[in-house]
Amino acid sequence: MPLLSPAALDAALLDAHAAGDSARLAALYGKAASRFNETADIDAACFYWTQALVFALEAGLDEAGDYAERLRRLGRI
Amino acid sequence: MDQRLTDEELAPVLEPVATARGLPNRHYVDQTWFETERDKLFFDGWAGIGFAKDVPANGDAMPITLLGQPLVAIRGRDGKLRVFLNICRHRGMILIREAGPIRGAIRCPYHSWCYDLDGALKATPHVGGPGHNSHEAIHREDLGLVEVPSYVWRDVIFINISGEAPPFETAHRVAIERWREFDGPLFHSGADSGFRLDVATNWKLAVENYCESYHLPWVHPGLNSYSRLEDHYNIEEPGAFSGQGTTVYRQLADEKGLVFPDTPGLGDRWQTAAEYIALYPNVLFGVHRDHSFAILLEPVAIDRTAEHVEIYYHAEEALEEDHTALRARNSALWETVFKEDIFVVEGMQRGRHANGFDGGKFSPVMDSPTHMFHRWVATRLA
Ligand code: FES
Ligand SMILES: [Fe+2]
Repeated sequence: MPLLSPAALDAALLDAHAAGDSARLAALYGKAASRFNETADIDAACFYWTQALVFALEAGLDEAGDYAERLRRLGRI
Repeated sequence: MDQRLTDEELAPVLEPVATARGLPNRHYVDQTWFETERDKLFFDGWAGIGFAKDVPANGDAMPITLLGQPLVAIRGRDGKLRVFLNICRHRGMILIREAGPIRGAIRCPYHSWCYDLDGALKATPHVGGPGHNSHEAIHREDLGLVEVPSYVWRDVIFINISGEAPPFETAHRVAIERWREFDGPLFHSGADSGFRLDVATNWKLAVENYCESYHLPWVHPGLNSYSRLEDHYNIEEPGAFSGQGTTVYRQLADEKGLVFPDTPGLGDRWQTAAEYIALYPNVLFGVHRDHSFAILLEPVAIDRTAEHVEIYYHAEEALEEDHTALRARNSALWETVFKEDIFVVEGMQRGRHANGFDGGKFSPVMDSPTHMFHRWVATRLA
């Protein structure tokens, strides 16, 4: 997925919510989480990893394991 | 609170058929009794709720409502069919709103708690605050979906809401044994082998009418040729099922003599026999050498019943192209027969508003399967 500006990411998330596209939601929330992780805003990153995890679980994606693992390492699961 | 029948009220129904009276009117027209019967006859025992053919693939889910109870049937990744209360353990939100496949987990649409197809609670997002997905007070292992005991027999999904009934195989051992020879796979051809009838009657009248052959020459004159009254016998298993059988069943055949393939390994007697039983409370079954059917009676209201009819074949060749026209004929035949019954069950429902009706007088010979059903109802309500 190409890098999105925060505004574009927001818009893409709204679109994906409207479409009920859980695989895309997982990817977009994962993206948002990485962004906050890079700026060491761990609380925000964990919020978005949680969102990503939920939609990855719903979509039956293997990435669910990665998101869960990140959260586990930070004591968030 | 549930009502109960007093000994005095019970006595006339429990008499031998020759002297018995039928159930009083209130069991057909009084809403409070409808609710008592819901609890005692449906929830405390094994009630039919749907067909396993409608959740064929692993991951398929189908929401079902039985007398107001929100349920969902789910075929797990392990191929096992399970029935759960269709509600989230968090705030009780309805989980699954439409039938269809589930790709991954079941996500509650409210706060996104996620469940596995076997009911296990997999994720509780933000439950300990934003980004915190656990909390010491949230014990995930205790918060899985509530499973309802279920059992599939002859493709019908049965459940026991109260969880208090003996296992299905115990409760219905006699019926299972009786039709053991028909235990092989059932083949369903899809929409051309099922139909629904909406009938303005109490569900019990559909059972009562199905149980007996007394009405055949009058209501189904077309059946008379191969289903004469004198060739019928009563089937009675107290407390479980009743119905009727015939010894002169003739297979449906087209002009060229094409018939449906026989059930593999069937005993000789079934060459010309067919049997029809009502498994209490709400599933009507029929078996023949070459096909069978199940009718699920869904009580929609005290005076409204949806009859879900599904026809099954006993060998896969029956689903092939060359049998398409014959299948359509078979479906049409049964639809005609079951529609012929509508005016009587609706007529009896209207009749139950007559204050002067005493529950009725049974034919000691012809009505005993119906009386057996009344007796079961009365005993359960005692
Ligand atoms: S009601 Fe289901 S997650 Fe809140
Ligand atoms: Fe009939």
